[in-house]
Amino acid sequence: MSYQEHARILFSLSLSLQKQTLCIPAGEAKSGILASTEEYKFVEQLISPSRVPFPPKHDGPSPFGWNPPSASASNTLLHLNSQDKVEGNIWASEKDVKEYLQQLTGKHLPTQVNEVTMTFRVKGHFDTALKEWLVKKGF
Amino acid sequence: MSFTKKPGGKALDILQNLPRITLANLRPEPGTKKAEKKRGRGQHGGNRSGRGHKGERQRGNRPRLGFEGGQTPFYLAIPKYGYNEGHSRRAQYQPLTLNRLQYLIDLGRIDPTQPIDLTQLVNGRGVTIQPQKRDYGVQLVGEGAGIFAAKVNIEVQMASEEAIAAIERNGGIVTTGFYDPRSLAVLCKPVPFFLSGQPIPKRMLPGEDMVPYYTDAANRGYLADPEKIQKARIALAQKYGYVLPDISKDELFHMLFMRKDPRQIFFGLSPGWVVNMTEKKILKPTDDKLLQYYNS
Repeated sequence: MSYQEHARILFSLSLSLQKQTLCIPAGEAKSGILASTEEYKFVEQLISPSRVPFPPKHDGPSPFGWNPPSASASNTLLHLNSQDKVEGNIWASEKDVKEYLQQLTGKHLPTQVNEVTMTFRVKGHFDTALKEWLVKKGF
Repeated sequence: MSFTKKPGGKALDILQNLPRITLANLRPEPGTKKAEKKRGRGQHGGNRSGRGHKGERQRGNRPRLGFEGGQTPFYLAIPKYGYNEGHSRRAQYQPLTLNRLQYLIDLGRIDPTQPIDLTQLVNGRGVTIQPQKRDYGVQLVGEGAGIFAAKVNIEVQMASEEAIAAIERNGGIVTTGFYDPRSLAVLCKPVPFFLSGQPIPKRMLPGEDMVPYYTDAANRGYLADPEKIQKARIALAQKYGYVLPDISKDELFHMLFMRKDPRQIFFGLSPGWVVNMTEKKILKPTDDKLLQYYNS
């Protein structure tokens, strides 16, 4: 069957839906109304979900380039050259980042830790490098 | 600068021994607050107080903004032209990139096994449409055509050629359909509409200026001839250099070919029906005149 035949069949299907009336007359219903529960499933498809859905399983990175986080990840977010919202031991993660960047650049880089807001900053632009490193670690 | 050896550190010990933090105990980090210059006080703020020497400048009598000393000012010399005339009445279409669409599908917010229309996009929080602000829907934009890899049946209000090519290359179908403002509001927020108890309106046809767009097969318009659309699909495949996959052999071909009637807003629901969400029922009219109106 060709594309245009398909399209014509489905057009007529949708039109015929209007004429298809399953009648379940409700007791003292006013004349001129038919009640039906058959098509309610289409209404249910239109209701918006209230919770964020779980992402489907991907083998490796998705076409968009998103890597699913591993189970043991703590929440860290990367913004430019500062590490935000580090849960758990901030000094340990700061040490790891310093060691990694030392291997990468060969230089001792200054950092600043803010325990109150649970963030730390590194001098220099390591946007993509740190992002890849975090992905390798499983975040 | 990190110089402590103990993790968790002295900060924690100090905190445990100090009294409660109040506004009286806090002070900003030295160097963060710079004192402002007080005019009329001291060697640097005083004397003429930053106003200059005599004249209109010091006396605060400068002419209006744009005045050029008598020369015809720039804003009067340049002739008027209606670039922005009626800008607030123009139709707007929220762009949807293929990057974003792929992201939404990858994260499970949009289901590619069902036809994607504006309701699904809004429910998946993919786009935000404001029908009251002259938004007429969503337009598919070609950014991310290189990484797009999903087979979808998508209905939008406008689509660029690259976007159409990217979707058809992956075995999907694009349709462009028109929604008048009231139908668009109903489409974007179906649940509040159903709760209002009104019958589903019939979707209006496009205005004079948009009819050529929606009857053109190159735009995959919903009013275009299906045969011409098939030819356009083949032509586009040749133009962009990919092999057009045969959809009729696909397992999801029934879903991919689902399209709405030009007067229909929702899949499976006809205009004229009233939805009762509390009792999970649909009420349909039987009066001849009503049926004739809604089925026309």
